[in-house]
Amino acid sequence: MTTLFVQFIRYTFILAIAATLFSCEDVVQIDVTPGPTQLVVDGWLTNEPGPQRIKLTNSAAYFDNSPAKPVLGATVTVGDEKGRIFSFKDLKNDGVYVWTPASARDTLARLGVRYGLQIKTGSEEYVAQTQFNRVPKIDSITYFPEKPPVAPTKGPREGFRAEFWSRDPTGAGDCYWIKTYKNNKYFGRTENISVAYDGAFSQGAASDGLIFILPIRRSINPELWAEKDTIRVELHAVPLEAYYFLQQVQQEGGNQGLFATPPANILTNIANRDAKGRKPLGFFGAASVSTFTTIIDPKKAKPKE
Amino acid sequence: MIRKMFTLFLCLFVAQLGFAQNEKRAVSGYIRDAANGESLIGVSVYVRELATGTVTNDYGFYALSLPQGSYTLVLTYLGYEKTEKSVVVGNTDQTLNVEVKDQTQKLKEVVITTKKEDENVRSVEMSVNKVEMKTIRKMPALLGEVDLVRSIQLLPGVTTVGEGASGFNVRGGNIDQNLILLDEAPVYNSSHLFGFFSVFNPDAVKDVKLIKGGIPAQYGGRISSILDVRLKEGNSKKTEINGGIGTIFSRFSYERPFAKDKGSFIVAARRSYIDVLAKPFLRGDLKGSRFNFYDLTAKANYRINDKNTVFVSGYFGRDVFGADFGFEWGNGTATARWNHVFNSKLFMNVTTYYSSYTYALESDRNNKRTSGDKFIWNSSIKNWSVKPDFSYYLTPNNLVTFGGQYINYDSQPGAATATSRGESRNISLEPRFADESALYVANDQKLSERFSLQYGLRYSYFRSLAPGETYDFKEITKGERQIPLFPAQKYTDGVINTYGNWEPRFSAKYEFSSRASVKMSYNRMVQYLHLLSNTAASSPLDVWTLSSRAIKPQIADQVALGYFQNFKDNAYEASVEVYYKKLQNQIDFVRNSDLLLNRFIEGDLLFGGGRAYGAEFYVKKNKGNLTGWLSYTLARTERQIDGINNNQWFPSRFDKTHNLSAVALYQLTDRWSFSANFAFSSGTPATFPTNRYEINGWAIKNNFEDARNNLRIPAYHRLDFGATYKPNRKLFKRGQGEYVFSVYNVYNRRNPFSVFMRENPETPLTTEAVRFSVIGSVVPAVTYNFKF
Repeated sequence: MTTLFVQFIRYTFILAIAATLFSCEDVVQIDVTPGPTQLVVDGWLTNEPGPQRIKLTNSAAYFDNSPAKPVLGATVTVGDEKGRIFSFKDLKNDGVYVWTPASARDTLARLGVRYGLQIKTGSEEYVAQTQFNRVPKIDSITYFPEKPPVAPTKGPREGFRAEFWSRDPTGAGDCYWIKTYKNNKYFGRTENISVAYDGAFSQGAASDGLIFILPIRRSINPELWAEKDTIRVELHAVPLEAYYFLQQVQQEGGNQGLFATPPANILTNIANRDAKGRKPLGFFGAASVSTFTTIIDPKKAKPKE
Repeated sequence: MIRKMFTLFLCLFVAQLGFAQNEKRAVSGYIRDAANGESLIGVSVYVRELATGTVTNDYGFYALSLPQGSYTLVLTYLGYEKTEKSVVVGNTDQTLNVEVKDQTQKLKEVVITTKKEDENVRSVEMSVNKVEMKTIRKMPALLGEVDLVRSIQLLPGVTTVGEGASGFNVRGGNIDQNLILLDEAPVYNSSHLFGFFSVFNPDAVKDVKLIKGGIPAQYGGRISSILDVRLKEGNSKKTEINGGIGTIFSRFSYERPFAKDKGSFIVAARRSYIDVLAKPFLRGDLKGSRFNFYDLTAKANYRINDKNTVFVSGYFGRDVFGADFGFEWGNGTATARWNHVFNSKLFMNVTTYYSSYTYALESDRNNKRTSGDKFIWNSSIKNWSVKPDFSYYLTPNNLVTFGGQYINYDSQPGAATATSRGESRNISLEPRFADESALYVANDQKLSERFSLQYGLRYSYFRSLAPGETYDFKEITKGERQIPLFPAQKYTDGVINTYGNWEPRFSAKYEFSSRASVKMSYNRMVQYLHLLSNTAASSPLDVWTLSSRAIKPQIADQVALGYFQNFKDNAYEASVEVYYKKLQNQIDFVRNSDLLLNRFIEGDLLFGGGRAYGAEFYVKKNKGNLTGWLSYTLARTERQIDGINNNQWFPSRFDKTHNLSAVALYQLTDRWSFSANFAFSSGTPATFPTNRYEINGWAIKNNFEDARNNLRIPAYHRLDFGATYKPNRKLFKRGQGEYVFSVYNVYNRRNPFSVFMRENPETPLTTEAVRFSVIGSVVPAVTYNFKF
């Protein structure tokens, strides 16, 4: 629920502050002592055909803006409950470990089956688990003309606001990650993360079986759309733990201002086999994906409600 | 331990009774302001011949027991003329009501000739700060809006999370640990516009008292402090109109006597008017914008006779925001009181009140949307209470107070309906019911001219009432969300669970001379109602949550020791106090906690202990053209919560090692007066990441130690100026008028509210630290006040 209300609060607060205009933000220099490096796993499997990737890097000092250092020479294996083994290889020697299927239309994904990840690097061994869940199809994407009273900070001043239509299947506990692409460009900032639990914001919302609620249907508008723009929306069904992970990444990304919560480390589902060993970071997740693509045609726009 | 202490006091008490003389007669009555008939709290009533005395209580009532004979009563009250009254005590008890005159009516006689205003040294009370409304009105204020809560933030032992944050922190306590009383009714949210302005209309407030320690037995329910705000009763002599046109608010108040001066009332209103001014400029979707906050305060009193007075008072305030969607919140209180003098020795006050805090959000306020997408959400806490308090003037050396309180709570943590394309889901949480009862008895005892004690005991008893349901939770990892175990236990009638607590209170004073004294106190306080807030500044959406099986009552034990001395014929009063506080059952939250509309919220809570300690230095100048105070606090407040900061102690968000403030008011001429504030405080603790890592093209923050509040943000300091000018030419041709000029943050410092880390908004994967200032510029303002 929190996300919606943070938005509400922000909006009202912006109105309130607009009246006073005394607040400000400056970039400043801060000294923090970095901790030792940790293994970072960035592994997201999907049920889409084609190669799957798992990226291994090292963590760095917070203000170190150079690209993350890859972890090379690791053995990366994914296995499922049915005893199938998938071996991931670092093809370009850049820390991106790839599983390439025999045929381009193959997928490793099986619905409802658990998958284990095993990483061996040096003398260390790391493990994680995930699962592919069911995903409903996206029925359509509609849009209507919009000219907001306050000029948006990004994108066109005037254009179309879009809405995707899908219904959460009956049975509680479906978690989603909604990704949006404009002309094949992914809106990938933390503030663009949109997650849903049973078609609404949280576990407590009792929204099982609903058409995705309005703020989620409209969470695909990081900026307004112009004529001829291609909208692609991907609905990723993810495990509960991944939902929590993404929700936390989104919250920590924008955690600032009067109503900031105490910053907290983001959860990980990776474990070192040696409980006393170096603690890893990152996430190993699986997603079943449904996609819908449309091109903005002003003639097909719906009237604004 | 408690029982032993109690027995000891009982013995002391009975021993004294034996010496009590029977032929004494009582003299009692009310002390009031001659100008407007307001009863005055804390007036010193001194019997010259016996070198003894008392002070008026919260209702302006006093009582003395005197042997037969002729006496002179000397009444002194800061800022008022010294008044003497002769009284002959014969065979019967007698009533003596006295009116005293405000000094500022005769400015030329500012050089005070009264006896010593040495209450701070002589009273057994410690850790108490009173700020006169007259002073608060003259202090420079943000945007020129006189603000009670901002003013008390300049007192020793009081801090805030930062500018714009709601509420205040007393001696290392959270904001929900202050019992804010408006005519004895609790106020749940003391702020308008998140935290920028407080809800108290300065035109309607008579007296403000902050009790930080040695809390008397009559008070309970919060563990850190009592902010006791008393409203004016209204001018009982003549009609009075006050008003003001400020930058944010316009104010208006009307007061007058009725029923042949037996009664009086005051009605005061304030409203922000930025929306009215902005209206012509709003277009399109913003046209229907609502953006305002207002409050109404009213009080009436009626003196039935010398023995009976009744009062009714109320407050209603709202903050309203929205256009298409609506968001509003606010408090309401209503109080009725009856003061009854049984005889010259026994005084009773019975208060009943109703208080509520509610908020409401609605996504489609005007029902414009035909598609059937809607979200409605309400939350409220309501309570009513009956509270009889008795003062028994047993002997000249013993004032016994006793009484009780019953509070009934009805809370709706969240009632919400989500509608998607016409299909609705009710996602409301269950309402919660509870009650809280308390009984107390206390005695103020003078053992000798120099040595006084105040001791009391309070017993509080809390019950969670059916209907309701509770869950048990299973802990997977310490510090992480706990998993609810199904099914819930449902209760349809009766009591779900109870807590009972003894709360001993004790204070002692020893005077070295009439100029210097040492005092100590101990108190235990218990709190059954908690504001669940995980944000830096508390937000209006935070929910006041009742204790339950999982949420145990918060308990604080505090000891304080103080030295008090006055100088230069009491022109200066000074004090040094040290305190140590131990806190139990403090609440914290798991990472990514979900505190709103979450029926398993108890699984997101963590519990632990706390400690706070410090030293407070305070010098106040009361007399002359230059008045004001200087306060310095050296303090620490820490928490230890399993699951946070590797289970180690960590400083709380509002811990400030050094906290210095200075307030100066200078009366130059009858026309011009000036004021200045200066505040300095250490930077508050913050949690900074030490490392970063990349996932999905995001640079994610990580603190290698998993620490909480591991570093501090830069220090805060600020200077404000104010000036008041009373012109001969008035804006409204009659009455009195004054211009109040203020400049907040004179030297334009960008004080940090917080420092946070982020990815640069333009360039992903570039990490930087950002200082956020809520008020990052000079803020000048002008206000015009008038009085007819």
